[in-house]
Order: sequence, then C-alpha cells, then structure tokens
Amino acid sequence: MNILQSISAAVAIAVTDLKLLLRDKLDAFFTFVFPLIFAIFFGWVFGGAGGGETGKIELGIVQLDKSASATAFADDLAKLDGFHVTRFDDVAKAQDKVRKGELVACVVIPEDFNAKFEDLFATGAGPTVRGYVDPSRRGETGLLEGRLTELAFKGMTRSFSNTDSMKKQLAKARESIEKSKDTDPSRKFVFNTFLTGIEGLLADNARRAAKDAGGGKAPSGGLGAGMDNFRPVKIELEQLKRDSNGPTNSYEVSLPQGIVWGLMGCVTAFVGTLAVDRQRGTLVRLMCSPLSTSTIIAGKSLAGFVSCMAVQWLLIGVFAFAFKVRVPEPLMLLLATTCASLGFVGLMMFLAVMGRASDGSGGMGRAVVLVLAMIGGGTIPVFIMPKIMQTISGISPFSWAVRAVEGATWRSMSLSEIMLPCGVLLAIGAVGFTLGAMMFRRNASAH
Amino acid sequence: MLRLTDLRKSFGPIAAVDGVSLEVHRGEVFGLLGPNGAGKSTTISMAVGLLAPDSGSVDVNSQGPPTSHRVRAHIGVATQALAIYDQLTGLENLRMFGRLYGLSGTTLAKRVEHALDLVGLLPRAKDLAGGYSGGMKRRLNLAAALIHDPPLLLLDEPTAGVDPQSRNNILDTVRELAKQGRTIIYTTHYMEEAQRLCDRVGIIDKGRLLCVGTVDELVRTHGGTSLVRVSRGEHEDAIETDDPLRTIETAITHGRDTQAATHPITGIRIDRPDLESVFLALTGRRLRD
Repeated sequence: MNILQSISAAVAIAVTDLKLLLRDKLDAFFTFVFPLIFAIFFGWVFGGAGGGETGKIELGIVQLDKSASATAFADDLAKLDGFHVTRFDDVAKAQDKVRKGELVACVVIPEDFNAKFEDLFATGAGPTVRGYVDPSRRGETGLLEGRLTELAFKGMTRSFSNTDSMKKQLAKARESIEKSKDTDPSRKFVFNTFLTGIEGLLADNARRAAKDAGGGKAPSGGLGAGMDNFRPVKIELEQLKRDSNGPTNSYEVSLPQGIVWGLMGCVTAFVGTLAVDRQRGTLVRLMCSPLSTSTIIAGKSLAGFVSCMAVQWLLIGVFAFAFKVRVPEPLMLLLATTCASLGFVGLMMFLAVMGRASDGSGGMGRAVVLVLAMIGGGTIPVFIMPKIMQTISGISPFSWAVRAVEGATWRSMSLSEIMLPCGVLLAIGAVGFTLGAMMFRRNASAH
Repeated sequence: MLRLTDLRKSFGPIAAVDGVSLEVHRGEVFGLLGPNGAGKSTTISMAVGLLAPDSGSVDVNSQGPPTSHRVRAHIGVATQALAIYDQLTGLENLRMFGRLYGLSGTTLAKRVEHALDLVGLLPRAKDLAGGYSGGMKRRLNLAAALIHDPPLLLLDEPTAGVDPQSRNNILDTVRELAKQGRTIIYTTHYMEEAQRLCDRVGIIDKGRLLCVGTVDELVRTHGGTSLVRVSRGEHEDAIETDDPLRTIETAITHGRDTQAATHPITGIRIDRPDLESVFLALTGRRLRD
C-alpha cells in the first residue's frame, strides 16, 4: 500500500467511527447535545436563573451636575429603548464596571453641564459629555453615540421651548457682547439687533405654543429646526482597556464546563468504539488487512480528534452567537481547542487499550473520565473551587482544557500565558498516545 | 499456496498449537476440523498473521509470512465472529472494508456490487446490517472477506448459526469460489459440510494435526467397520463388518433359519463409516469444555 492508500484507509476508518458515533443516538446525545444543554443550563443558573434582562445594552450614567437640564438629560438617557441603565455616583466605579465588561459603556454628565449649556450662545460651545466604552463592543458604542447626539438636540429643543431658560441664555449672550473689548461697536450693534430679533421670535413662539396647546396640537417649528450641522453637546468617547480578570457573563463560565462534558462524551464514546471493535471482531478484520497498526491508530485517532474539535466549536459557536461569549482571539481559541483535542485523543487511546473487553474498558474508561471531569471543572468551575481542589484539579486533563479555553476567551491570556495549559495538554496527549499505541500493538499481536 | 511448517504456539503452560505442518495447494478447498479448543482458530490466526508463532513458519503463496502487509493483501478472512458494523448498511460496510485494501472509485464500486451479488444481498444493500437476519449477516461477513478478490480465503465456521437457506447459499458461494481457482481453508463443526465441500480434510486436536487426506482416504484409514442393522419386528441386530453386502446375504439366505419362521426380517440398514466416525474415532467421544 502506498502512502495515499494508507491515508485513504485511515480516513475510511475515521469516517466509519464518526458514522458509528452519530448513528448511536445515545452516544451522539451525550457527546453533542448534552454538553450544550448542560452549559446553557448552568450559564442560566449562574446568571441569576434568568432574572437579569437580556438583549439590552448595559449602560452606566454618572450625573455629576444635579441641575434640572442635566437631570432631564440623564432621565432621557435612562428611558432609551434597548438600554438597561444603572446610575452611579462615582466615575471610577462606573469605569471599573466597563473594564470588567459588566457595562458596555458609562456616560458622565459633567458638573458644568448646565453652565456650559446656558453659555451656548455666548461661547458657541456646549457642554462635553464623556463616554467610557468597552472597545470590544464597537457596534453598541456607535449606537450609543448616535442616541447621545439625538438626546442633546432634544435637550436643546426643550431649552428653546422654555422661554425663561432661553431668555437667560440670551441675556448672558448680550452681557458677554457688552463686556467684550475686542468687538467693535458696529458689530456689537449687529449682534444686539440679532439677539433682539431672537427675543421677538421667542415671544412669538411662546404665543404660538400657548395657542397650539389650547387647540390640542403638538408644538411645531421653533429654533431647533434646520440645525443639522450644529452639535449642542460635544460627545467624547474614550476606550477603556479591558480588565481581563473576570468573565463578563455567566455563559463565559459555563462554556468551558460544556466543553468538559463534550470532551468527556467523545472520550467515552471512542473508548467504547474500540472496545466494541475488539469484541465484535471488526478489529480483527482491520488487523487482517494490509494496514499497519500505525494506520489503524491514525484512523481511530483522527475520528477522536474530529469529534473533539466538532463538539468544542459547536459549543463555542452557539455560545458566541446566542450568549455573547467573547472570542477576542479566534486563533488563540483554535490553538487551545486543537491542543485540547490532541490531549484527549491521547487519553482516549490510552483508556481504550487499557481493557480488552467492551464492558471492561468502557466501564472503566467512563469511571476514570467521570472522576477526572468532576475534579477538572465539569460541575464546579475550577476558579471557584477551594484552593486545595484547584491544586488537585491539576491532575485532570479536563482542568487544563478549561484553562486553555478560558485563557482564549474571558481571561484574554497572551500567547506565552496560554502555552502552559496547551503544553500540558500536548504532553498528556503525547504520553497517552505513545502508551496507548504501544499497548494497542502489544494487544494486537497477542490477540 | 499456504505452507505451515512445524508451527507452535503456547499460552502459558498450554500448547495451543503443537508442531502443525500442513500444505494447502492452489485451488484446493481444505477443511480443518477439530473439537472446541483443538487449536483451529490459533492455527488460522497464525496463518493470517494475527498471531506470531513461537516457532515454525508460515508461507503464503511463496511470498513469505503474513506479517508483511503485501502478503496480507492476498488473504481474505471471514472470522467466526460477525466482523461487520451493525450501524452501517451492507453497502457501507463493504465500501469501508474495500478501502482498507486500497480500493477506490469504480473498482471499489464494482467489487462491492459483485460481492453483494455473490452472497445474494444486493437487494438489501442499503439496509442497516443491524436489521439483517443471522444468515444475512454471515453472508455479509463472507462478502467482506471477498471484497479485495483474494486468492486465499480463510473461512472460520462461516455457517455457524444460520438457517438452511443461508447455509445453502454460503456453500454454493464457496463452491463457486473454488471453481474460480481460489484456495479455501474452511473450518467447521458440520461434518457433512466438510464432506461435501472439501478436497482434503485435516483433523486437529490438542494442538496436533492428527490426520490429513481426502475424505475417502480418512474414512478408509480411520473410519472403522460398517455396521449392518438387521431388524426383525421390534428386535434389531447390529453386526460389525468390513463387507456389508456379504453380511446381509448371509443374514438373508443362510443365517438363523429357525428365527426366519417366527421372526422374519423387516428391515436392513447399513451404517457406513463417514467423516464423523473418523472425527470421533480420532478425537474421542468425551465431552469437551
């Protein structure tokens, strides 16, 4: 057999094993469906049993100016559709929430908001509202910027419809013009004439508004119209570097748990497959063929690898799209899942050849894998385990898979940081594969 | 086609195969018979390269031992266990096994179709093997051994536990394969199968090959005498004889005139020695575990 034929044979073995896995409803359920259900359920439970609002953009407001216009602006912000608003007294506290990913952004209404707003005509510059945003949530940030601008215009319109407020602004402007030493008298005359005109317009507006209100019509027109290029409030957004020390939602915690159960399903399914092969005699047929044991092992391992990758990325895909689990570095996650798959292929091979009868190796394999999964973060996330359990969990390959996946998701590890769990997984894979392959060859020749 | 020379294999203190030497010729159907635990499967396992002998040698088609992948490509094995995947269809099973032998494309498709047709499973090719009857599974197991068109076939009890129709189909298939010039080694517990199919038979027990020859040779050598059973009403006389016809003639014409009047002969039956007689004579009547 040439190399291509050997590869084709290994692929045929892998395809067969995957078909057997998918056609065994129980194995397929525990490999692909159960981990998904498990992770979603635990994500829901960890997230407050569904008590929190979902689908809304989490926004913080810090109102440093307690004036009526600032309060109105904050209230308008709080009423925005699609936003869930939390108010804070302290800017640093709100910024911290953004850094932790608990808020998409926080908006700070400055202490001089009202003062600047009243000086709008005098200085030509309104207040500056500063937003601190999570750089990974660009879509939501763009939406927020648009809504803030919209609210600023709304506030100005409100101000214009408030004759007293407008008169105050005009009086301040007139006073400012009078005090100005750089403006020549002819210009001062022009500005004053302009301001007098506006005051007349305001008086007329007030009369029309009173008439409209009496006739049950909504106020229309006014000074707010035709000001498309004018920004009454300056909006400045600043990106806050993410603090990567915590998950942003409960599904980021339950995803690695789901992966543990998925990998466990793969391991037990393939340990069982090899045992059944041995018991039924299909392994003898493989051994009687002109394939080398290496080709047979490669085929079996390929099936295990593909199933491990498939279950991990199924979970990641569902959780990223449906539950907003962050995948900041997809290539790092690919590295983590590949290393986890290789590690577990080694474990599979080792456990599969440990026993020679179906019930023996299948039962023993399941027991070993279950214990490793439990201490490796299958039921309780490793990082909330007691310190001693966290240490003990180091013996479980599952805990290293969890660390690798967490590292590539919410922990945002660097490449050098993620190399530790990935390296351990590869080492487990290499040792398990080598021992398993040696025992497989020995068992095969002793058949 | 297959030469076993002084093969020995022990499992701990038990000698499973103890100095078996045997030569099976090209195009021959060779029956390997023996009670349970006699060493048949161990011998077959060494012949196909699944087991390494402790000593002795196996040579397939003058190309060396079956440890070589090239040599194994010449051998087709239908194991006693049904080595097929229940969750795959008959078609998928054969496609998969064909790929193990490097077959692909139209060659594979043709071989699969031919093998399914040969064992009468073409109409059920797309059904899951798990839904097949025991006989159909046996036939699929045989088809899997044929998929790569091997010149040497080792069939380990291919008719175990099947209905008469499937058994008949399998025997017809084996005959057809023999006609095509394939060398077949056939192990079975059914003596009449071996008697019908095999050109030569070897009987093995306790790891030793006790005899090898054609069925007639073995019966002549080891079958013992014929038994003439003469019935007179409810009474039956069993007479051991080397010449049954003479014994019958004597019984009718000369013998026991006094009895003839009162007890006339009501029936005569000759029990000739057969392969089963040879088997029991060589391996004994004691029950085996």
